[in-house]
Amino acid sequence: MTNTLKMRNNNKPKLFNIINGTLLILFSLITIYPMFYVLIGAFSHGDAYSAGGAWLFPRQFTLSNFIVILSDDMLWYAFRNTIMKTVIGTGLSLIFTSIVAYAMSRKKLKFRKTIRAISLFTMFFSGGLIPYFVLINYMGLYDNFLVYIIPSLYSVYNMIILSSFFAGIPNDLHEAAEIDGASEFYIYRKIYMPLAKPALATIALWSAVGHWNSYFSTMIYSNAGKKMITLQYYLMGVINQANYTIGDNISPGIIEEVTSTTVSYAAIIIATIPILLIYPFLQKYFTFGIQEGASKG
Amino acid sequence: MNESLINKNGKYKSKKFKYRDFELLWMAGIGVIFLLIFAYLPMGGIILAFKDGDNQLNVLNAIFKTKFVGFTNFMNFIRDQRFVDVLLNTLGLNIIGLVITFPAPILFALLLNELKNKRFKKVVQSVSIFPHFLSWVVFGGIIIAMADMTTGIINPIMYFLGFGSRDNPINVLTAEYFWTLVIVSGLVKGIGWGSVIYLAAMTAIDRVLYEAAEIDGAGRFAKMLHITVPLIMPTITIYILLQISNLLSNSFKQFYMLQNATNLSRSEVLSTYIYKTGIIQRRYSYTAALGFFESVTGFILLIGANSIAKKVSGRGIYSE
Repeated sequence: MTNTLKMRNNNKPKLFNIINGTLLILFSLITIYPMFYVLIGAFSHGDAYSAGGAWLFPRQFTLSNFIVILSDDMLWYAFRNTIMKTVIGTGLSLIFTSIVAYAMSRKKLKFRKTIRAISLFTMFFSGGLIPYFVLINYMGLYDNFLVYIIPSLYSVYNMIILSSFFAGIPNDLHEAAEIDGASEFYIYRKIYMPLAKPALATIALWSAVGHWNSYFSTMIYSNAGKKMITLQYYLMGVINQANYTIGDNISPGIIEEVTSTTVSYAAIIIATIPILLIYPFLQKYFTFGIQEGASKG
Repeated sequence: MNESLINKNGKYKSKKFKYRDFELLWMAGIGVIFLLIFAYLPMGGIILAFKDGDNQLNVLNAIFKTKFVGFTNFMNFIRDQRFVDVLLNTLGLNIIGLVITFPAPILFALLLNELKNKRFKKVVQSVSIFPHFLSWVVFGGIIIAMADMTTGIINPIMYFLGFGSRDNPINVLTAEYFWTLVIVSGLVKGIGWGSVIYLAAMTAIDRVLYEAAEIDGAGRFAKMLHITVPLIMPTITIYILLQISNLLSNSFKQFYMLQNATNLSRSEVLSTYIYKTGIIQRRYSYTAALGFFESVTGFILLIGANSIAKKVSGRGIYSE
């Protein structure tokens, strides 16, 4: 009797495991295939690709698509601006957000509840796009590189995550430092910040990916000239443009091998490489960050 | 500096306001000042919604040099058939999202949680999360490429599954298929990332509970249904609340990228409509009114959903 029961219990899960495993493998393939698909196109000869059917291997392997896109000056301006805004924006926002987060994690902070309410309210209610647009114009930030930096100096969401991390650091450390005469800012900088490295890394990575992937600010708050163009905005132009205008510094032999479609694939790959490079770090930290975020809302 | 603080320590006890308090206040004050400028000041800009500021050349003139017109702008968009279509698209897609896109990551997490092989689990997770970090320009660009009727792979897959025929390829970027495209592409991009939070909640569940259930003869599904699901319920509640409060917002990035002239009737949603009327057509007051409507509705939905959740499960968002 007990034997048959065991048998049943053993058989069922096995079947379930097989189905489950297959399903998950299939799904993984679906999520990764789109990247693979453009990679193939990016290495294909333009006209050969147009015939269709290039799904697993490039058609007439060529590097011409990359040569064409990499010799576009605008791409390099976009790269420069995007790197600048990502590095400066992330760095400064980390400093400001962590300072506020530290103060908010201290129970002794006066008006703590009021400040918390003021902060939370902004997450759920906003003036909307047009009043914000007025503000940006009024502050002279329109078509100004600082529009990428200043409005994102501080984030309430990140503040909450960081502050719940700070609140989890044993108070004994704070008390000891206080007795030694350390000021709050000193404690923040020399004790709490070093301890919060994993939390800071998480937020830095999220913020960096956000900066890297955004195109809204470029589209709305700038004329997208050389000083302002960002990578995603540039890429959107290349993808939407039916006829990508190829620079005159490219040799005819290379131009023959490309179409605007395959060039746009090469552009997609190039814009994605940096994300691919930091993905291992993202993976290391995202579980941490999201848990912190969940526990405190 | 440090020494003087030690000496003062005792004396300062009697005083109400210490140097420490001042320090903490300026640190927190940075955030408050930032929010006053970048969040509360624009809220004052909502007066634009009650003014006659459409078609001004300069948005600053629109707010400072125009006269009040009461609720005219609100009446204008309510009577606008275009707005009604946009609202229906927005609500329709978000409700479908609530039914499909919301539970999908939970299901995915449950399946992933059943994997015994840690390494396999990690690989599946890494692969499925990756698209989340791609921008919608990249991901949308890839979808547009795959939807191409001659070179794309979406059509061959559809023949394989029995939709359409080789001679009449389907253009999935047209209005008819747009909603399906949005839901499916959103799932492929977001399901892995969406499941992280639930998996995290699942790994926190005490193994002892499962062992006890096994002794009582519970099978795999019984354990899932009676232990895993109830224990991740608080997480689900929070996310469903946020989802409900976002009933009027869509991912601008996703929609703007996948829109084209042939699918606008089904693809125009509030966020893209606001961009087009406000920034491109310069109907500043009309759009400010729309934005105000969106914000207020979202806020009411959140408060409503939150109070219901508090009554039902005793837990809302941001209950510290």
